[in-house]
Amino acid sequence: MSARIGWLGAALVVLLSWATAQPVRAEPYLAVRQDLKCNGCHVNPTGGGMRNDFGTAFSQHVLPAKPGGAGGWSGKVGDLLRLGGNLRTGWSSMEVPDQNSRRRFDLDEVRLYADFTLIPQQLAVYVDQRVAPGSAQTQEAYVRYGDSTGWYLKGGKFYLPFGWRLEDDTAFVRQTTGINMATPDTGVELGYESGSWSTQIALTQGSGNAQADSGHQVVGQAVWVQPLWRLGAAASFTESELGDRRMAGVFAGLHTGPVSWLGEVDFIRDEGFLPQTREFAVAIGELNWMVRGGHNLKLTAEFFDADRDVDENEQNRWSVVYEVTPLPFMQIRVGHRRYEGIPQNDLQNRRLTFVELHGFF
Amino acid sequence: MRRFSAVVSSPLFVCRVLSGIFWAAILSGCTGSGEGLDNSGRPLGEAAQLPLSAEFDSIQAHIFTPICSVCHAGGNAPEGLRLDAANSYNLLVGVASTQQPSTLRVRPGNPDSSYIIQKLEGTAAFGERMPFGGPYLPASTIAVVRQWITEGALRSPASVSAASFALSTTAPQDGDVLEAGPAQVMLGFTRDLDTNRIATADIRLQRIDLDDPQALGAAISATVAVPASNPRALLVIPGEPLVEGHYRVVIADPYGVGLADLDGRPLAGHAGGTNDVVIRFTVGSTR
Repeated sequence: MSARIGWLGAALVVLLSWATAQPVRAEPYLAVRQDLKCNGCHVNPTGGGMRNDFGTAFSQHVLPAKPGGAGGWSGKVGDLLRLGGNLRTGWSSMEVPDQNSRRRFDLDEVRLYADFTLIPQQLAVYVDQRVAPGSAQTQEAYVRYGDSTGWYLKGGKFYLPFGWRLEDDTAFVRQTTGINMATPDTGVELGYESGSWSTQIALTQGSGNAQADSGHQVVGQAVWVQPLWRLGAAASFTESELGDRRMAGVFAGLHTGPVSWLGEVDFIRDEGFLPQTREFAVAIGELNWMVRGGHNLKLTAEFFDADRDVDENEQNRWSVVYEVTPLPFMQIRVGHRRYEGIPQNDLQNRRLTFVELHGFF
Repeated sequence: MRRFSAVVSSPLFVCRVLSGIFWAAILSGCTGSGEGLDNSGRPLGEAAQLPLSAEFDSIQAHIFTPICSVCHAGGNAPEGLRLDAANSYNLLVGVASTQQPSTLRVRPGNPDSSYIIQKLEGTAAFGERMPFGGPYLPASTIAVVRQWITEGALRSPASVSAASFALSTTAPQDGDVLEAGPAQVMLGFTRDLDTNRIATADIRLQRIDLDDPQALGAAISATVAVPASNPRALLVIPGEPLVEGHYRVVIADPYGVGLADLDGRPLAGHAGGTNDVVIRFTVGSTR
């Protein structure tokens, strides 16, 4: 009975989505497909969060199956203030071997963005506030200074630059590195955006040092962006009282006709596991096929080795996600993720099926 | 460059790449068989295999290690909360949440006021319900964590008295053989350390000769510190890399003025220098 209600609910979400509907958070495949850098569509030079003029126009006139007409929402409130928001809600079914399936509706998150221009083209204050579920929580809040030379400096709380800023924070590469859109950090970031290069380096407290009086994290990346493809390298060092962490990664994107490819491989060395260090390896390959306007098929294959010194502990995750953007500012995502791990751990062999409605403005 | 663009945009190229990826995916379907591993994916024998019960070691083995420490470990652990076996107890019990500093992560005796329960049950005011992305723990499993907290959130009820100030864990553990020299030796205690007493404590790192156990060890310079994030841990940080050999850490207290907790309790069974704490470990394959 409950299963039937769950499926009925899912169908209702899809129907409602089609009838009303909105699209995506950070989706680097779009940047690869359009031969753009992250700052091509986002206010934040490293991507994610609020969209800029081009990003807003893109989401209205290029991304949807049925593009919007002129005069839609631009995000601008006057010349010096830009507002935005993000809402994700949906239904999911989680199946774990030898456990009852769990099917539920969730309001995943509601976020509001604001970008205050203090000196046009130079100085701005950006805020990303998560307002639901639960109490309000600041995800990002920073001052950004930049000029026409391509250099910029931001200080405050922000997401760290390391690899692809994927929409899915549960991807192995984002979970294992601890650098994702759920774990902002506080510090300063220096960046340079010019021609084919997009580079950033940040000095922060380090999320692992949240309670410590000392410790820091240095993280940076450099991306060489060419027509059709790009190649990036990232590195991070976290000094911590309870053990340091070093990470290095390479990531790349390629655009071939209707298909965009993303790949990332990261290596992590952690001294936090006493008595010895532990080394991880994690990778993702992602294919995005633009079936037709407003329709994208996303296939991902992921790999996670939780300790390179231990054999037969490797995990995989496979995902099929179909994304439909019927109208401007709205997206529906239907997907299935299959986890594969050691047979004695049921959670490593779970299945997730989901329907998500994502709206933004 | 134009020729390259034309080639990679051609349908034939796309088909070839798709085919390549397909076969690469098939060939790299390298999920571990789990042979020789426990439920957490760790080698058998590394940790005790316990049924799930309201004891810390059991909760560590069934929940914290296999589920939480995938993210909550290492230098980038979210909110500075490391839930691997070496660190979890000292970073949970009696430690304020970073998301809601007025609430302790684990308040012994009071599960409803413990942030970890709020996070597991999805009632915390801030952030995501844990485990991040699900699946969330069944109510019956959370009930076990609740019971552990209700009963005092003890480190190991069988061996450690809540009232005593004792050594609860070390890393490396006594007798460990390590492939490489550890960056530090961590000593965990059942109660917060009085940092003012560290300076008077006699804590030594020594290189020893197993063939002559009576010989005094060769002293190795080391820094002793209590991390601000964990007042129940003592770090002995060698001043030089520990090369292949046998080592020991000795906590002696010949005058009864050494380590003590904030209430002035000396280390259990340790006053007067009659019971020095000694942790021995080996680096490399030295026999």
